[in-house]
Amino acid sequence: MTHNAAPIDSIERGSSSGRRKTGRPAGADPALPSADGDLPRASRSRRIRPGRILVACGMVIVGLAFAFPILWMTLTAFKSTEAFLSETYPLSWKSFLPSQPTVDNFRSIFGAFGFEWNLINTAIVSAGQIVGSMVVCSLAGYAFALKEFRFRRALFAFCMIPAFLPAEALIVPLYDVVKSLGLVSTYLGLFLPFICNPFGILLMRQAFREVPRSIFEAAEMDGASEARMFLSIGLPGVKPALATLALLQFIWSWSSFFWPLVAMQDPAKQVAQVGMANFATAANTPLYGEVFAAATVLTVPVVALSIVLQRYYVKGMVSSSGR
Amino acid sequence: MITTATKGRAAAPRRTTWRSGKAHRGSAALLMILPAIVGIALFQYYPVIVAAVHSLQAFDPFTHEAVGFTGLDNYSRMFSSEDFQAALKNTVLYVMSSMLIEIPVSLALAVFIDQHLPGTRFVRVSVIATLAASETVAAIVWAQLYNPDQGLFNGLLSVFGVPPQDFLNSGSQALVSVVLMSSWKSIGIPTLIFLTGLQAIPKDYYEAASIDGASGFRQFRSVTLPLLRGSGTVVLFMATLQSTRIFVPIVLMTQGGPDGATRNLVFYSYEQAFQFNSRGVGSAAAIFMLLFLGAIIAVQFKLLGRRYDA
Repeated sequence: MTHNAAPIDSIERGSSSGRRKTGRPAGADPALPSADGDLPRASRSRRIRPGRILVACGMVIVGLAFAFPILWMTLTAFKSTEAFLSETYPLSWKSFLPSQPTVDNFRSIFGAFGFEWNLINTAIVSAGQIVGSMVVCSLAGYAFALKEFRFRRALFAFCMIPAFLPAEALIVPLYDVVKSLGLVSTYLGLFLPFICNPFGILLMRQAFREVPRSIFEAAEMDGASEARMFLSIGLPGVKPALATLALLQFIWSWSSFFWPLVAMQDPAKQVAQVGMANFATAANTPLYGEVFAAATVLTVPVVALSIVLQRYYVKGMVSSSGR
Repeated sequence: MITTATKGRAAAPRRTTWRSGKAHRGSAALLMILPAIVGIALFQYYPVIVAAVHSLQAFDPFTHEAVGFTGLDNYSRMFSSEDFQAALKNTVLYVMSSMLIEIPVSLALAVFIDQHLPGTRFVRVSVIATLAASETVAAIVWAQLYNPDQGLFNGLLSVFGVPPQDFLNSGSQALVSVVLMSSWKSIGIPTLIFLTGLQAIPKDYYEAASIDGASGFRQFRSVTLPLLRGSGTVVLFMATLQSTRIFVPIVLMTQGGPDGATRNLVFYSYEQAFQFNSRGVGSAAAIFMLLFLGAIIAVQFKLLGRRYDA
């Protein structure tokens, strides 16, 4: 027993931690049965492979590498600007964790700098973009999916081609258009250009296509009006897609930075992403503490939301890529 | 319109099927797509037309008013500018280095996440988190990580005995540094596309392959890769679009510097219009960028012989 206990023990320990993570019900203690040579069933059916454990460790490292900038940002938000500047380099545990955690940065952005107003502005713009886009895209998606009309294919292509346009290069002429509509420095001007979104139309068209046609045919037999069919049969049948669209539009409008920077010239109505960037560019020395606090406030809720609503989010991200 | 239709039906109930009554149904359909068509025409196509017209005009540098058509003058000024030539070269570098990083990494991530090994849920959540974080936050946080004097990356490198690097301040490292940040931010999309592709592959294929004695790697090469061709095509388009359009990170991290090392076409266009008051050249650059992107995508279509959306 003694001469081969060590290798078995180490393999078993590794595989047990692996199994625990895959959600195997607890109960069989892997260290005990090896004494009488009778391995528990799970171990027999799933062979112990050290490679699996290595991969698992690798996965955790990869995951941490991806999550790291966000985790580090969140931890740094609890450091004072002075601590951030003096403790990050050279490397020590203080580079990662706040040595004297403080919420002063949050107090500062919400007190002196009125960042809550930036957040309210962002919320207003996001709400407009979400509602507007749900209305416009579901109407168009319904018609493209279920109706016969002239030039349907051509009009659909007309709606899809802008997905290839480099929006960033067209900010200046877009500003001219919005200016000629008199919408510069208005909330409407911040979200109106983005409610007619090719991805949203595509998403809604796919969703309406999946609603069984027989339901619509039955309703039409009963003499339901077009509006009624859309509202009481169409829309309830595409709720998941509407949720996906709302989530995507929320994240897009919440993240939008350059368009508000250009099109919103009234500081009182400026959105939170620009407000945050101002902490980094304002004054002679950037207000690092405030920057990280604002970045954390902007990031953590959205990240949490997209993880909780993963199902909708992943579906939206994949279908917004044109599949 | 809907009310008249309803009235007509009330007066004389018709036997209708889905396809009948095409005429008035068709007009209802047109009403439904009207907001989308108007919005897209106004906010997507019209700016392109405005840019095209502006690219042929000269502008008063002070009032920003158009002062007359100058033919292709703006284009010839643009093509002869060294900044533009460097920006074009950099755009190609952005696209190629993004592809080199994003395609293999996202494929590897997707393959591992698909295995449902311990720890893969964490990877999936991390990747989704990077997608949800805004580009602005990402650029500002990464700029601090890259800071040559007090940045964490230099701290981490010092553990391995690597001397401090200049990252964004270095002519040779700045572009790659921006690409790394941008790839980190957007790797989730190709990963999720590959993952969807992987989940669509029937598991029997792998069983059949392993009965035939194919090793894990052989299965990957002969089953997974060929069946991921479709996803790969979409990923290629997505990565091309994303990497030609890198903009906010450049604005926030480098302002095109050092010495133009990170300036791409989008940033060149923005700089011309906003900072150098030459709206004509800025618009010409935007139109060029459009044609350039269109050409790349057309070549990709042709090479891969697959329709983007049927």
